[in-house]
Amino acid sequence: MSSKWEDLQKRSFLESKARSRAIGLVDQGTFTELAGPRHRVSSPHLPLLGEAVEFDDGIVTGVGLIGEKPVFVASQEGSFIGGAVGEVHGAKLVNIVRMARKAYDEMLTANPDLAEEKRPAVVISFETGGVRLHEANAGLLAHAELMDQFQDCKGKVPIVGLIGSRVGCFGGMGFVAAAADVIIMSQFGRLGLTGPEVIEEELGKDEFDASDRALVYRTTGGRHKYIMGDCNVLVADSIAAFREALKDILVKPYGEIAAMSCIGSLEKVQYQLQLVELCVETAPKDARDVWKTAGNDNPEELTDMPLDEFLKTVKRLTDSCLGG
Amino acid sequence: MEDLIGQGRAAIDMIVDPQSFLEGEVGELLLTDEDFGASAVIGTARLDGEVCTIIANDAMTANPKFPVVYAGIIGLEEGYKMALAVYHSIKADQDKLPAEKRSIVLIVDTPGNGAGKQEEIFGMNKSTGAYQLALAEARKAGHPIVAIVVGRAISGGFLCHGLQADHVLSLGTKFNTMIHVMPITSISRITRLDIEWLQELAESNPVFAAGPDYFYKLGGVEELIDNIEAMRERIVAHVAEVRAKKTAGRDDELGPWGRGSLSLARGSRTERDRVIRIMNNEFAEVAEKYLS
Repeated sequence: MSSKWEDLQKRSFLESKARSRAIGLVDQGTFTELAGPRHRVSSPHLPLLGEAVEFDDGIVTGVGLIGEKPVFVASQEGSFIGGAVGEVHGAKLVNIVRMARKAYDEMLTANPDLAEEKRPAVVISFETGGVRLHEANAGLLAHAELMDQFQDCKGKVPIVGLIGSRVGCFGGMGFVAAAADVIIMSQFGRLGLTGPEVIEEELGKDEFDASDRALVYRTTGGRHKYIMGDCNVLVADSIAAFREALKDILVKPYGEIAAMSCIGSLEKVQYQLQLVELCVETAPKDARDVWKTAGNDNPEELTDMPLDEFLKTVKRLTDSCLGG
Repeated sequence: MEDLIGQGRAAIDMIVDPQSFLEGEVGELLLTDEDFGASAVIGTARLDGEVCTIIANDAMTANPKFPVVYAGIIGLEEGYKMALAVYHSIKADQDKLPAEKRSIVLIVDTPGNGAGKQEEIFGMNKSTGAYQLALAEARKAGHPIVAIVVGRAISGGFLCHGLQADHVLSLGTKFNTMIHVMPITSISRITRLDIEWLQELAESNPVFAAGPDYFYKLGGVEELIDNIEAMRERIVAHVAEVRAKKTAGRDDELGPWGRGSLSLARGSRTERDRVIRIMNNEFAEVAEKYLS
């Protein structure tokens, strides 16, 4: 068991299954899976449509520790129907967030002076395209429940999202991720609302070619989202790197973590509206145009340089780019 | 009037007290630029004599700055504009007792969120997310929020504008209302399952089929309204009911979580309930190891 956890640390986050990510992100030997495969809770809807099921419905949920902090973990598995959210998958995700907030309420009622390092946190490793079509209506309703639970966590439980898996984080889960307090990505992570194929369908192949991987990455990938400020921390592609970044975040006071979020208050919406204005003024044809606006004189070079060099060199979009 | 598709502004007039709608104004917020988030309408009105915030789609007005925003689509500007209306409602009533907070009425007729390159570069996910968080915050601060689907409530558009309400109402299918993630024809194409067979299956399992009736069975819609003239009166009744529940501390019966229980009461989404109980029971056994 111990060697296994240590082996996990070195592994590529991109190549890791949901369960490995969940186990490896928290301290060694502390992860307890909740509603795991032994309970055989699978989709009741897929068999009616002649589809195979998984006994975890494509998501691993559980609790672990980072130091003394209880960490409620959800980790989506992209190899099962693209990590899509159905009734059971959605309920597990919704409830893990709710459990963290309820634990917080109970702990703080019993002891209002409870040290911050012992208060619960939520960590979600996203790998999903959003709603599962086979049970679309239930999946949709689960997204609304998730946003509701996220709001319940405000002022109490920090939510950290990790994006660095094959499928990325798209569809409705794209805005769920935006509602997290902190987003940690690798350069292989992708985050957005509308998947590339749908944009191509909408705008035509000349405007957006979904098969152009470089284009897709620079529009939705970790490096771009880091420049935009939508990704707070950009890390190397290993479970250890994600875990270290997560630990660095979770030792901060709650207020500092909450301040890192992109949205969730009038002031943050007003700042985002300044960015929208910038979009209108500069009418970027490509993400690289925005990188240039942010002060990167040679945006082409940003794509391929090694990560540490990128992090040292890159200029991010900040208030100073907004012309006053 | 046969239906209200594309008629967001007409729907506002049918719902609020006559001549009471002030467009672009909510508390301290005063929007004067007509082009700003043009496909969304926000403002303040009176509903049965009481101040309320109105947020609606305007399918007849495209946003001149964003080519993918037309026909009621919620784009970057629209999502944030709608969020502004909510935050300013909260701010305007911040010193009032929960029972006195203004209601917010969402008039829903949207085919979805802006799907474009600039939208993805700047993050359309943040715009729709911002509006949803604002609504959830207002709901929890005591504002009764009632959504009424008068036309289209499609997928992410419905999540953005509708599903964060305390109660969701919809005009019935005879008014050509649409609620779905994808029409059954597209589901049939993608899953390669026979469309007639899918339609038959939908009768016993509302989990994937398109239409307000299925969302009703699934607990995603509190009430279907089959008389367009009764729309205003039903909204007023639901605002009162929601307010009463909030005052009584029964918030768990409202909003997305409340609709989870509603689905169970209507005999659907039963696995949702089961998996939640399994997780809670299993955690109770190990909680001591994790919680101080």
